[in-house]
Amino acid sequence: MNRCLFPAVLVLVPALAMAKVGSTTSERIPVEVTEGRQIYEQYCAACHGGQGEATADWSKPDEKGEMPPPSHDESGHTWRHSDAMLFRMIAEGWRHPFNKTNRLTMPAFKDILTDQEIQSVIEYLKTLWTDDQRRYQQSESQDANQAENPS
Amino acid sequence: MKVIPYRLNSAVSGFLLFTLATVMPALLQAETANGGQSVRAMTTNSSSVLLVLRNSGLFAFDGHSATAIPLPQSASAFRPSSLTKGADGQLYIGGPGLGVWRYDNVSERWQSLNDTLPDLGITAVAAHATEPGTLYAYHSQAGMLRSRDGGAEWVKVDSGPREPVQAFLHSDMPGSMESGWLFAGTTRGVARSMDCFCFWGDAGELRGLVSAIDYDPSAPENVYVVIEGQLHHSPDGGETWAGLDTPQAVTALTFSSTEGLVVGTENGDLLSRNVSGKWVPLNE
Repeated sequence: MNRCLFPAVLVLVPALAMAKVGSTTSERIPVEVTEGRQIYEQYCAACHGGQGEATADWSKPDEKGEMPPPSHDESGHTWRHSDAMLFRMIAEGWRHPFNKTNRLTMPAFKDILTDQEIQSVIEYLKTLWTDDQRRYQQSESQDANQAENPS
Repeated sequence: MKVIPYRLNSAVSGFLLFTLATVMPALLQAETANGGQSVRAMTTNSSSVLLVLRNSGLFAFDGHSATAIPLPQSASAFRPSSLTKGADGQLYIGGPGLGVWRYDNVSERWQSLNDTLPDLGITAVAAHATEPGTLYAYHSQAGMLRSRDGGAEWVKVDSGPREPVQAFLHSDMPGSMESGWLFAGTTRGVARSMDCFCFWGDAGELRGLVSAIDYDPSAPENVYVVIEGQLHHSPDGGETWAGLDTPQAVTALTFSSTEGLVVGTENGDLLSRNVSGKWVPLNE
Protein backbone atom coordinates (compact mmCIF):
# COMPACT_ATOMS: atom_id res chain seq x y z
CA MET A 1 0.00 0.00 0.00
CA ASN A 2 2.73 2.40 1.00
CA ARG A 3 4.61 1.51 -2.17
CA CYS A 4 1.54 2.54 -4.13
CA LEU A 5 1.20 5.82 -2.26
CA PHE A 6 4.80 6.90 -2.70
CA PRO A 7 4.60 7.56 -6.47
CA ALA A 8 1.28 9.28 -5.96
CA VAL A 9 2.87 11.60 -3.39
CA LEU A 10 5.71 12.25 -5.82
CA VAL A 11 3.24 13.34 -8.48
CA LEU A 12 0.71 15.14 -6.29
CA VAL A 13 3.00 17.20 -4.07
CA PRO A 14 4.64 19.13 -6.93
CA ALA A 15 1.21 19.52 -8.55
CA LEU A 16 -0.23 20.93 -5.31
CA ALA A 17 2.78 23.18 -4.94
CA MET A 18 2.21 24.44 -8.52
CA ALA A 19 -1.44 25.00 -7.73
CA LYS A 20 -0.42 27.02 -4.70
CA VAL A 21 1.88 29.18 -6.85
CA GLY A 22 -0.91 29.51 -9.43
CA SER A 23 -3.44 30.68 -6.86
CA THR A 24 -0.92 33.19 -5.52
CA THR A 25 -0.59 34.56 -9.05
CA SER A 26 -4.34 34.78 -9.55
CA GLU A 27 -4.63 36.58 -6.21
CA ARG A 28 -2.71 39.52 -7.65
CA ILE A 29 -5.97 40.89 -9.06
CA PRO A 30 -7.80 40.70 -5.73
CA VAL A 31 -4.84 42.48 -4.13
CA GLU A 32 -5.30 45.33 -6.60
CA VAL A 33 -9.02 45.25 -5.98
CA THR A 34 -8.48 45.33 -2.22
CA GLU A 35 -6.18 48.30 -2.56
CA GLY A 36 -8.70 49.96 -4.89
CA ARG A 37 -11.46 49.40 -2.38
CA GLN A 38 -9.45 51.01 0.41
CA ILE A 39 -8.73 54.05 -1.76
CA TYR A 40 -12.36 54.18 -2.86
CA GLU A 41 -13.56 54.15 0.75
CA GLN A 42 -11.12 56.90 1.65
CA TYR A 43 -11.69 59.28 -1.28
CA CYS A 44 -14.85 58.31 -3.19
CA ALA A 45 -17.41 56.68 -0.88
CA ALA A 46 -18.49 59.93 0.80
CA CYS A 47 -20.04 61.11 -2.49
CA HIS A 48 -20.65 57.90 -4.45
CA GLY A 49 -21.77 55.68 -1.54
CA GLY A 50 -20.01 52.91 0.39
CA GLN A 51 -21.06 50.28 -2.15
CA GLY A 52 -21.12 52.67 -5.14
CA GLU A 53 -24.87 53.14 -4.72
CA ALA A 54 -24.83 56.99 -4.64
CA THR A 55 -27.99 58.77 -3.52
CA ALA A 56 -31.50 57.88 -4.62
CA ASP A 57 -31.91 60.92 -6.89
CA TRP A 58 -28.50 60.85 -8.53
CA SER A 59 -29.97 60.95 -12.03
CA LYS A 60 -31.73 64.32 -11.60
CA PRO A 61 -30.16 67.75 -11.10
CA ASP A 62 -30.13 68.86 -7.46
CA GLU A 63 -31.36 72.19 -6.05
CA LYS A 64 -28.16 73.91 -7.24
CA GLY A 65 -28.73 72.66 -10.77
CA GLU A 66 -25.83 70.22 -10.56
CA MET A 67 -25.94 66.57 -11.52
CA PRO A 68 -25.24 64.64 -8.29
CA PRO A 69 -22.38 62.10 -8.09
CA PRO A 70 -23.58 59.04 -10.02
CA SER A 71 -23.92 55.50 -8.80
CA HIS A 72 -20.98 53.23 -9.66
CA ASP A 73 -22.78 49.93 -9.16
CA GLU A 74 -24.78 48.03 -11.73
CA SER A 75 -27.60 50.61 -11.59
CA GLY A 76 -25.28 53.37 -12.80
CA HIS A 77 -23.48 54.02 -16.06
CA THR A 78 -19.82 53.81 -15.01
CA TRP A 79 -19.58 50.44 -16.78
CA ARG A 80 -20.32 52.14 -20.08
CA HIS A 81 -16.94 53.91 -20.08
CA SER A 82 -13.62 52.54 -21.21
CA ASP A 83 -10.72 52.20 -18.76
CA ALA A 84 -9.06 55.15 -20.46
CA MET A 85 -12.11 57.38 -19.99
CA LEU A 86 -12.57 56.33 -16.35
CA PHE A 87 -8.90 57.04 -15.71
CA ARG A 88 -9.23 60.49 -17.28
CA MET A 89 -12.32 61.36 -15.27
CA ILE A 90 -10.69 60.38 -11.98
CA ALA A 91 -7.40 62.07 -12.82
CA GLU A 92 -8.72 65.29 -14.34
CA GLY A 93 -12.17 65.59 -12.77
CA TRP A 94 -15.46 66.30 -14.47
CA ARG A 95 -18.45 68.58 -14.51
CA HIS A 96 -21.64 67.86 -16.39
CA PRO A 97 -21.90 70.41 -19.21
CA PHE A 98 -25.50 71.29 -18.33
CA ASN A 99 -24.78 72.00 -14.66
CA LYS A 100 -25.90 75.47 -13.65
CA THR A 101 -22.64 76.05 -11.79
CA ASN A 102 -19.13 76.13 -13.19
CA ARG A 103 -17.32 74.21 -10.48
CA LEU A 104 -15.71 70.85 -11.10
CA THR A 105 -18.23 68.66 -9.26
CA MET A 106 -16.02 65.59 -9.64
CA PRO A 107 -12.63 66.75 -8.31
CA ALA A 108 -9.36 65.94 -10.04
CA PHE A 109 -7.28 63.30 -8.24
CA LYS A 110 -4.11 63.39 -10.31
CA ASP A 111 -2.22 65.25 -7.56
CA ILE A 112 -3.57 63.00 -4.83
CA LEU A 113 -3.46 59.47 -6.28
CA THR A 114 -0.77 57.76 -8.31
CA ASP A 115 -1.62 56.28 -11.71
CA GLN A 116 -1.47 52.81 -10.13
CA GLU A 117 -3.85 53.85 -7.36
CA ILE A 118 -6.33 55.25 -9.89
CA GLN A 119 -6.09 52.00 -11.85
CA SER A 120 -6.75 50.05 -8.63
CA VAL A 121 -9.90 52.06 -7.98
CA ILE A 122 -11.10 51.24 -11.51
CA GLU A 123 -10.42 47.54 -10.89
CA TYR A 124 -12.45 47.74 -7.69
CA LEU A 125 -15.35 49.47 -9.50
CA LYS A 126 -15.48 46.55 -11.92
CA THR A 127 -16.41 44.23 -9.04
CA LEU A 128 -19.64 46.23 -8.60
CA TRP A 129 -20.96 45.35 -12.09
CA THR A 130 -22.69 42.35 -13.60
CA ASP A 131 -20.82 39.94 -15.88
CA ASP A 132 -22.59 41.40 -18.92
CA GLN A 133 -21.61 44.90 -17.90
CA ARG A 134 -17.98 43.83 -17.40
CA ARG A 135 -17.97 42.27 -20.87
CA TYR A 136 -19.44 45.44 -22.40
CA GLN A 137 -16.90 47.63 -20.60
CA GLN A 138 -14.04 45.40 -21.68
CA SER A 139 -15.18 45.71 -25.28
CA GLU A 140 -15.45 49.51 -24.94
CA SER A 141 -11.91 49.59 -23.53
CA GLN A 142 -10.60 47.51 -26.42
CA ASP A 143 -12.34 49.75 -28.96
CA ALA A 144 -10.95 52.84 -27.25
CA ASN A 145 -7.44 51.36 -27.29
CA GLN A 146 -7.80 50.50 -30.94
CA ALA A 147 -9.00 54.01 -31.78
CA GLU A 148 -6.09 55.46 -29.79
CA ASN A 149 -3.45 53.15 -31.28
CA PRO A 150 -4.58 52.01 -34.72
CA SER A 151 -2.19 49.36 -36.03
CA MET B 1 -77.50 44.95 -81.54
CA LYS B 2 -73.81 44.24 -81.08
CA VAL B 3 -72.82 47.47 -82.87
CA ILE B 4 -74.09 49.81 -80.17
CA PRO B 5 -72.05 48.33 -77.28
CA TYR B 6 -69.00 48.22 -79.56
CA ARG B 7 -69.37 51.90 -80.41
CA LEU B 8 -69.98 52.67 -76.75
CA ASN B 9 -66.85 50.76 -75.78
CA SER B 10 -64.84 52.60 -78.41
CA ALA B 11 -66.11 55.93 -77.17
CA VAL B 12 -65.32 55.07 -73.54
CA SER B 13 -61.87 53.76 -74.47
CA GLY B 14 -61.18 56.83 -76.53
CA PHE B 15 -62.26 59.08 -73.68
CA LEU B 16 -60.10 57.16 -71.22
CA LEU B 17 -57.09 57.33 -73.53
CA PHE B 18 -57.63 61.05 -74.04
CA THR B 19 -57.93 61.59 -70.29
CA LEU B 20 -54.81 59.57 -69.59
CA ALA B 21 -52.86 61.38 -72.31
CA THR B 22 -53.91 64.72 -70.85
CA VAL B 23 -53.67 63.99 -67.15
CA MET B 24 -50.68 61.65 -66.89
CA PRO B 25 -47.97 64.15 -67.86
CA ALA B 26 -49.42 66.57 -65.34
CA LEU B 27 -49.50 63.85 -62.71
CA LEU B 28 -45.92 62.85 -63.46
CA GLN B 29 -44.86 66.48 -63.34
CA ALA B 30 -46.55 66.85 -59.97
CA GLU B 31 -44.94 63.65 -58.76
CA THR B 32 -41.44 64.84 -59.54
CA ALA B 33 -42.17 68.25 -58.09
CA ASN B 34 -43.92 68.41 -54.75
CA GLY B 35 -47.25 67.04 -55.92
CA GLY B 36 -48.79 68.40 -52.74
CA GLN B 37 -47.31 65.44 -50.99
CA SER B 38 -46.20 66.04 -47.48
CA VAL B 39 -42.43 65.79 -46.91
CA ARG B 40 -41.66 62.88 -44.59
CA ALA B 41 -37.91 63.20 -44.11
CA MET B 42 -35.01 65.19 -45.49
CA THR B 43 -31.25 65.22 -45.55
CA THR B 44 -28.49 66.33 -47.91
CA ASN B 45 -25.91 64.30 -49.76
CA SER B 46 -22.15 64.92 -49.85
CA SER B 47 -22.64 67.52 -52.61
CA SER B 48 -25.20 69.43 -50.53
CA VAL B 49 -28.00 68.27 -52.80
CA LEU B 50 -31.27 68.10 -50.86
CA LEU B 51 -32.75 64.62 -50.58
CA VAL B 52 -36.47 64.66 -49.96
CA LEU B 53 -38.54 61.67 -48.93
CA ARG B 54 -42.19 61.87 -49.89
CA ASN B 55 -44.95 59.26 -49.97
CA SER B 56 -44.25 58.91 -53.68
CA GLY B 57 -40.55 58.21 -53.22
CA LEU B 58 -37.15 59.76 -52.71
CA PHE B 59 -36.05 62.77 -54.74
CA ALA B 60 -32.74 64.58 -55.11
CA PHE B 61 -33.27 68.31 -55.50
CA ASP B 62 -30.31 70.27 -56.81
CA GLY B 63 -31.96 73.68 -56.65
CA HIS B 64 -33.43 73.52 -60.13
CA SER B 65 -34.92 70.10 -60.69
CA ALA B 66 -35.90 67.00 -58.78
CA THR B 67 -34.61 63.57 -59.77
CA ALA B 68 -36.21 60.40 -58.45
CA ILE B 69 -33.93 57.94 -56.63
CA PRO B 70 -35.53 54.49 -56.72
CA LEU B 71 -36.03 53.07 -53.24
CA PRO B 72 -35.05 49.48 -52.34
CA GLN B 73 -37.44 46.90 -53.81
CA SER B 74 -38.47 45.88 -50.28
CA ALA B 75 -39.57 49.43 -49.61
CA SER B 76 -42.50 49.13 -51.99
CA ALA B 77 -44.57 47.42 -49.31
CA PHE B 78 -43.34 49.65 -46.48
CA ARG B 79 -42.90 53.32 -45.81
CA PRO B 80 -39.37 54.44 -45.08
CA SER B 81 -39.54 56.94 -42.24
CA SER B 82 -35.94 57.85 -41.55
CA LEU B 83 -33.29 59.33 -43.80
CA THR B 84 -29.79 60.30 -42.69
CA LYS B 85 -26.34 61.10 -44.01
CA GLY B 86 -23.20 59.47 -42.62
CA ALA B 87 -20.04 61.34 -41.69
CA ASP B 88 -18.59 60.23 -45.05
CA GLY B 89 -21.64 61.44 -46.98
CA GLN B 90 -23.21 58.00 -47.39
CA LEU B 91 -27.00 57.95 -47.44
CA TYR B 92 -29.00 55.69 -45.10
CA ILE B 93 -32.70 54.96 -45.03
CA GLY B 94 -34.79 53.04 -42.53
CA GLY B 95 -38.29 52.29 -41.41
CA PRO B 96 -40.58 49.70 -39.86
CA GLY B 97 -40.57 46.55 -41.99
CA LEU B 98 -37.63 47.88 -43.95
CA GLY B 99 -34.72 47.79 -41.49
CA VAL B 100 -31.70 49.86 -42.55
CA TRP B 101 -30.30 50.35 -46.04
CA ARG B 102 -27.32 52.24 -47.43
CA TYR B 103 -27.21 53.82 -50.87
CA ASP B 104 -24.10 52.92 -52.81
CA ASN B 105 -23.20 55.93 -54.92
CA VAL B 106 -21.05 53.92 -57.31
CA SER B 107 -23.50 51.18 -58.22
CA GLU B 108 -26.48 53.47 -57.54
CA ARG B 109 -28.09 50.63 -55.64
CA TRP B 110 -29.32 50.12 -52.10
CA GLN B 111 -27.48 47.67 -49.87
CA SER B 112 -29.31 45.94 -47.04
CA LEU B 113 -27.69 46.34 -43.61
CA ASN B 114 -30.16 44.00 -41.98
CA ASP B 115 -28.20 40.77 -41.51
CA THR B 116 -27.63 41.17 -37.78
CA LEU B 117 -30.70 43.20 -36.81
CA PRO B 118 -33.13 41.36 -34.50
CA ASP B 119 -35.80 42.02 -37.16
CA LEU B 120 -36.86 44.85 -39.44
CA GLY B 121 -38.79 46.83 -36.83
CA ILE B 122 -36.59 49.92 -37.05
CA THR B 123 -38.33 53.23 -36.45
CA ALA B 124 -35.39 55.64 -36.65
CA VAL B 125 -31.82 55.71 -37.93
CA ALA B 126 -29.00 58.13 -37.11
CA ALA B 127 -25.41 58.36 -38.25
CA HIS B 128 -22.50 59.47 -36.08
CA ALA B 129 -21.59 63.07 -36.85
CA THR B 130 -17.86 62.42 -37.24
CA GLU B 131 -17.21 58.63 -37.31
CA PRO B 132 -18.10 57.27 -40.75
CA GLY B 133 -18.71 53.64 -39.73
CA THR B 134 -20.82 54.34 -36.66
CA LEU B 135 -24.58 54.09 -37.03
CA TYR B 136 -27.46 53.99 -34.58
CA ALA B 137 -30.86 52.42 -35.09
CA TYR B 138 -33.85 52.38 -32.78
CA HIS B 139 -35.77 49.12 -32.73
CA SER B 140 -39.27 49.23 -31.33
CA GLN B 141 -38.65 46.24 -29.03
CA ALA B 142 -34.89 45.90 -28.63
CA GLY B 143 -34.15 49.60 -28.07
CA MET B 144 -30.94 51.24 -29.20
CA LEU B 145 -28.66 49.34 -31.56
CA ARG B 146 -25.24 50.51 -32.67
CA SER B 147 -22.97 49.43 -35.46
CA ARG B 148 -19.35 50.49 -35.62
CA ASP B 149 -18.65 48.86 -38.96
CA GLY B 150 -21.11 50.53 -41.28
CA GLY B 151 -24.03 48.25 -40.47
CA ALA B 152 -22.35 44.83 -40.81
CA GLU B 153 -22.82 44.08 -37.12
CA TRP B 154 -25.52 45.62 -34.95
CA VAL B 155 -25.21 45.38 -31.17
CA LYS B 156 -27.83 46.34 -28.63
CA VAL B 157 -26.30 49.04 -26.48
CA ASP B 158 -29.19 50.45 -24.51
CA SER B 159 -32.94 50.30 -23.99
CA GLY B 160 -33.28 53.92 -25.04
CA PRO B 161 -35.43 56.60 -23.45
CA ARG B 162 -38.58 55.64 -21.56
CA GLU B 163 -40.87 56.58 -24.45
CA PRO B 164 -40.57 55.16 -27.98
CA VAL B 165 -38.24 57.02 -30.32
CA GLN B 166 -39.76 58.58 -33.44
CA ALA B 167 -36.68 60.38 -34.76
CA PHE B 168 -33.16 60.83 -33.56
CA LEU B 169 -29.78 62.28 -34.34
CA HIS B 170 -26.16 62.16 -33.33
CA SER B 171 -24.54 65.52 -32.73
CA ASP B 172 -20.94 66.57 -32.21
CA MET B 173 -21.96 69.24 -29.74
CA PRO B 174 -19.08 69.68 -27.26
CA GLY B 175 -19.23 68.55 -23.63
CA SER B 176 -19.76 64.80 -24.02
CA MET B 177 -17.70 62.29 -22.04
CA GLU B 178 -17.32 60.34 -25.27
CA SER B 179 -17.60 61.53 -28.87
CA GLY B 180 -20.91 63.36 -28.96
CA TRP B 181 -24.57 63.35 -28.04
CA LEU B 182 -27.73 61.57 -29.04
CA PHE B 183 -31.00 63.49 -29.22
CA ALA B 184 -34.09 61.32 -29.44
CA GLY B 185 -37.47 62.67 -30.43
CA THR B 186 -40.00 60.59 -28.56
CA THR B 187 -43.76 60.53 -28.08
CA ARG B 188 -43.25 62.82 -25.05
CA GLY B 189 -40.62 65.31 -26.18
CA VAL B 190 -36.87 65.32 -26.60
CA ALA B 191 -34.55 62.98 -24.66
CA ARG B 192 -30.79 63.52 -24.61
CA SER B 193 -27.85 61.30 -23.76
CA MET B 194 -24.13 61.41 -24.25
CA ASP B 195 -23.17 58.82 -26.85
CA CYS B 196 -21.82 56.53 -24.13
CA PHE B 197 -25.53 55.94 -23.41
CA CYS B 198 -24.78 57.03 -19.86
CA PHE B 199 -28.19 58.32 -19.07
CA TRP B 200 -31.26 59.45 -21.01
CA GLY B 201 -32.72 62.61 -19.55
CA ASP B 202 -35.27 65.17 -20.71
CA ALA B 203 -33.80 67.85 -22.95
CA GLY B 204 -35.77 70.74 -21.52
CA GLU B 205 -39.48 70.82 -20.92
CA LEU B 206 -40.81 70.73 -24.46
CA ARG B 207 -43.61 68.17 -24.62
CA GLY B 208 -45.39 66.41 -27.47
CA LEU B 209 -44.81 63.84 -30.18
CA VAL B 210 -41.61 64.71 -32.02
CA SER B 211 -41.70 63.82 -35.71
CA ALA B 212 -38.40 65.34 -36.88
CA ILE B 213 -35.16 66.52 -35.33
CA ASP B 214 -31.90 68.01 -36.58
CA TYR B 215 -29.14 70.39 -35.53
CA ASP B 216 -26.92 73.04 -37.05
CA PRO B 217 -23.50 71.38 -37.62
CA SER B 218 -21.84 74.80 -37.76
CA ALA B 219 -23.32 75.79 -34.37
CA PRO B 220 -24.09 72.46 -32.70
CA GLU B 221 -25.90 73.89 -29.65
CA ASN B 222 -28.72 74.83 -32.04
CA VAL B 223 -31.21 71.97 -32.16
CA TYR B 224 -34.52 72.02 -34.05
CA VAL B 225 -37.51 69.73 -33.65
CA VAL B 226 -41.01 69.43 -35.08
CA ILE B 227 -43.91 68.67 -32.78
CA GLU B 228 -47.31 68.29 -34.42
CA GLY B 229 -46.40 70.60 -37.28
CA GLN B 230 -44.81 73.28 -35.09
CA LEU B 231 -41.10 73.99 -35.48
CA HIS B 232 -39.14 74.56 -32.25
CA HIS B 233 -35.59 75.78 -31.74
CA SER B 234 -33.19 75.35 -28.85
CA PRO B 235 -30.09 77.58 -28.79
CA ASP B 236 -28.51 75.70 -25.86
CA GLY B 237 -28.38 72.01 -26.67
CA GLY B 238 -31.94 71.28 -25.66
CA GLU B 239 -32.10 73.10 -22.34
CA THR B 240 -34.63 75.70 -23.49
CA TRP B 241 -36.95 75.82 -26.50
CA ALA B 242 -38.92 78.45 -28.39
CA GLY B 243 -41.43 78.04 -31.22
CA LEU B 244 -40.53 79.38 -34.67
CA ASP B 245 -43.26 80.72 -36.95
CA THR B 246 -43.59 79.03 -40.30
CA PRO B 247 -46.08 79.72 -43.11
CA GLN B 248 -47.27 76.10 -43.14
CA ALA B 249 -47.23 73.11 -40.83
CA VAL B 250 -43.74 71.59 -40.90
CA THR B 251 -43.21 67.85 -41.32
CA ALA B 252 -39.44 67.50 -41.87
CA LEU B 253 -36.23 69.49 -41.59
CA THR B 254 -32.55 69.39 -42.39
CA PHE B 255 -29.47 71.57 -42.55
CA SER B 256 -27.89 72.32 -45.88
CA SER B 257 -24.43 73.86 -46.12
CA THR B 258 -25.72 76.12 -48.89
CA GLU B 259 -29.29 76.89 -47.77
CA GLY B 260 -28.98 76.63 -43.99
CA LEU B 261 -32.14 75.45 -42.25
CA VAL B 262 -34.58 73.88 -44.71
CA VAL B 263 -38.01 72.60 -43.78
CA GLY B 264 -40.47 70.42 -45.67
CA THR B 265 -44.13 71.14 -45.14
CA GLU B 266 -47.43 69.38 -44.96
CA ASN B 267 -48.32 70.84 -48.37
CA GLY B 268 -45.14 69.43 -49.84
CA ASP B 269 -43.21 72.68 -50.10
CA LEU B 270 -39.54 73.15 -49.28
CA LEU B 271 -38.69 76.38 -47.49
CA SER B 272 -35.35 77.78 -46.44
CA ARG B 273 -34.81 80.44 -43.81
CA ASN B 274 -32.84 83.45 -44.96
CA VAL B 275 -30.61 85.64 -42.77
CA SER B 276 -33.49 87.90 -41.83
CA GLY B 277 -35.47 84.89 -40.61
CA LYS B 278 -37.89 84.96 -43.54
CA TRP B 279 -38.99 81.69 -45.14
CA VAL B 280 -38.22 81.46 -48.84
CA PRO B 281 -39.60 78.70 -51.10
CA LEU B 282 -37.12 76.47 -52.86
CA ASN B 283 -38.61 75.82 -56.26
CA GLU B 284 -38.52 72.25 -57.45
